[in-house]
Amino acid sequence: MKIRGTVAAALASAGILLAGWQTGTQVGGISTVASSTTATGTTGSTGTGSSGTGSSGSGTTGTGTSGSSSTSGTSGTSGSTGSSSSSGSSSSSGSTGTSASGTYKGTAVQTRFGPVQVQITVAKGKITDVTALQLTNTDGKSIQISNRAAPLLRSKVLAAQSANVQTVSGATITSDAYLTSLQAAIDAAHL
Amino acid sequence: MKTQLLPASPAASSSGRPELSPTKEPARGWFARQYRQRMLRTDLLTVIAWASVAAAVALWLADGGATNITTPAALFTAGGIVAGLAGMDLVLLMLLLAARIPFIDRTIGHDRALEFHGKLGKPSLYLLLAHGVLIAIGYGMAEGLDPVSESINLWVQVPDMWLAFVSMALFIAVVVTSLVAVRRRFPYEFWYVVHLLTYAAVATSIPHQFSVGGLFAAGTWQRWYWLAICIYTGSALVYFRILEPVLATARHQLTVAKVEAVAPGVVNIVMRGRKLDQLAGTGGRFFIWRFLAPGMWWHPHPFSLSAEPIFNGPEGQGTLRVTVRNLGSGSAQLLRLRKGTKVALEGPYGLLSTAARTKNKVVMIGAGIGITPLRALLETTPFAPGEATVLLRGHTDQEIYLGGEILDLCQARGARLFHLTGPRGHGRSTWLPDDAVRNGYSLNSYVPDIADADVYVCGPAAWAANVIADAGKAGVREEQIHHERFDW
Repeated sequence: MKIRGTVAAALASAGILLAGWQTGTQVGGISTVASSTTATGTTGSTGTGSSGTGSSGSGTTGTGTSGSSSTSGTSGTSGSTGSSSSSGSSSSSGSTGTSASGTYKGTAVQTRFGPVQVQITVAKGKITDVTALQLTNTDGKSIQISNRAAPLLRSKVLAAQSANVQTVSGATITSDAYLTSLQAAIDAAHL
Repeated sequence: MKTQLLPASPAASSSGRPELSPTKEPARGWFARQYRQRMLRTDLLTVIAWASVAAAVALWLADGGATNITTPAALFTAGGIVAGLAGMDLVLLMLLLAARIPFIDRTIGHDRALEFHGKLGKPSLYLLLAHGVLIAIGYGMAEGLDPVSESINLWVQVPDMWLAFVSMALFIAVVVTSLVAVRRRFPYEFWYVVHLLTYAAVATSIPHQFSVGGLFAAGTWQRWYWLAICIYTGSALVYFRILEPVLATARHQLTVAKVEAVAPGVVNIVMRGRKLDQLAGTGGRFFIWRFLAPGMWWHPHPFSLSAEPIFNGPEGQGTLRVTVRNLGSGSAQLLRLRKGTKVALEGPYGLLSTAARTKNKVVMIGAGIGITPLRALLETTPFAPGEATVLLRGHTDQEIYLGGEILDLCQARGARLFHLTGPRGHGRSTWLPDDAVRNGYSLNSYVPDIADADVYVCGPAAWAANVIADAGKAGVREEQIHHERFDW
């Protein structure tokens, strides 16, 4: 009797775990696809012009599809990139861009709620724009926090022209990561 | 040999008692079928318990948890999440086991439910500790922080996390005070109050599960499942531990009718109430009584009925009786209970009843005050004349409480009765009196066919353990032994 119960319990548990695993691998596949599309969306916004391939090459995750989607520079910030016409010089950003113009990526900073990475657009030694390539997005709450914090941080950074700005309260982790990545980008631009 | 043997006599016997209405004898094989059904329910509970743990882990797997393990940090975090899910699931199982759900009670019994409850205590605490430590390491690694700074960060920066830390401290306190070694140093009441902190521990742990944990983010089915099991557990606790006792108390409107001495330090408490027909056949099962008098109302007393309810009205009006021995400070007050005192009751609980029967033959072995629940069971549990044996153990005949009533019942229903009196014996059958041991008697000597009978044992824990060991040697299987442990 005891054996019957144990066997039945083991079978039921194994079945449930298997079902969970099965669902998980499907969901996992979808989520990686989703993350790659968001990645291309953001990288696409930087390119606007011809340099779409350059940026997608340095894109973090599988950006195989970025070539097609890069033309649709999504966010409003891409407009400013276009106007600065520094897209041509973005090719130099990969290496030793001594002329402080172009786009520069910060390092991807890992947080418990996902990676954070920003990119700055520099024109004549000034930060003209900050774009978040990746923001904390592991769950609904951190996405909410990110969406609130990112615009605030961007305007603060543009005003201060440095990473020495106050963190956004209630989004400390995101802010810290954002500013760390930003500092790396500033360093890369030799500002 | 201070034992006394009554040959089995036909049911229609001459005792001065009014008609006993012994329960109709069920068909052969009825008890075996009842046992099979109970085992089926036991297996079902086993499956539910294990499946719920598996389901908790599956929630995480279904969210793609395992596919996201790409870094060592993610591995630690994943381990932490799984430990937390399994730990919380065990905590919910523990609460359900302690919720006195009738299905669980009539399947494995109150004491075994609490035994499993106790067994889950340490594993669930270890899982919750692992949850905290692994998450701190995993998050810390992802950010390049040591686990301690990470924990401080979590406490300070993440909403609801400070509550989770409080919850962890409470869980530790509850489990530590429940360790046998620690528990013995404190009075029952202290342990009980600390144990109530479990509810606070669970309550403070819930916010972070839903707000910080990405798995239960708004809009996910996992969130609904988790909410459902939390709400179900909470409702079961509220209903069966609070609402149902209040309703039962209101339904029966019990008051103390009289307190009469049975023997030195032993009294019958007779209570008058309504709708007592609903409590018929609960002989052997126990109720938790609270006598609503100043200084007493908060003290719960687990007593079994010592007789079937006696009805004398059209709506089940009548009287109930418990027999109580002065054992502790709480029981001492009971000897001076005033007539008319209102009584609250919870129950009946436990499996020391006909519901546990597996065989047609039955043996009841009681010692001291443990004799009295058997007295009520003897009154109603079905058996054919000659198929029941009652063994009563006491130092003296005076300690065979309710001995006269039991003698009458045995005569009326055709049960053999032995009084086993005298000082305690030495050797392996120490549950027997000394002279019986020296004559080489064991359980088999009194009940040769005991291997084919249900054995009900009620008495002090150490004594009962000896009886059960002796029964095992006589070929009684575990499922035939019915014993309710009252020691906490």
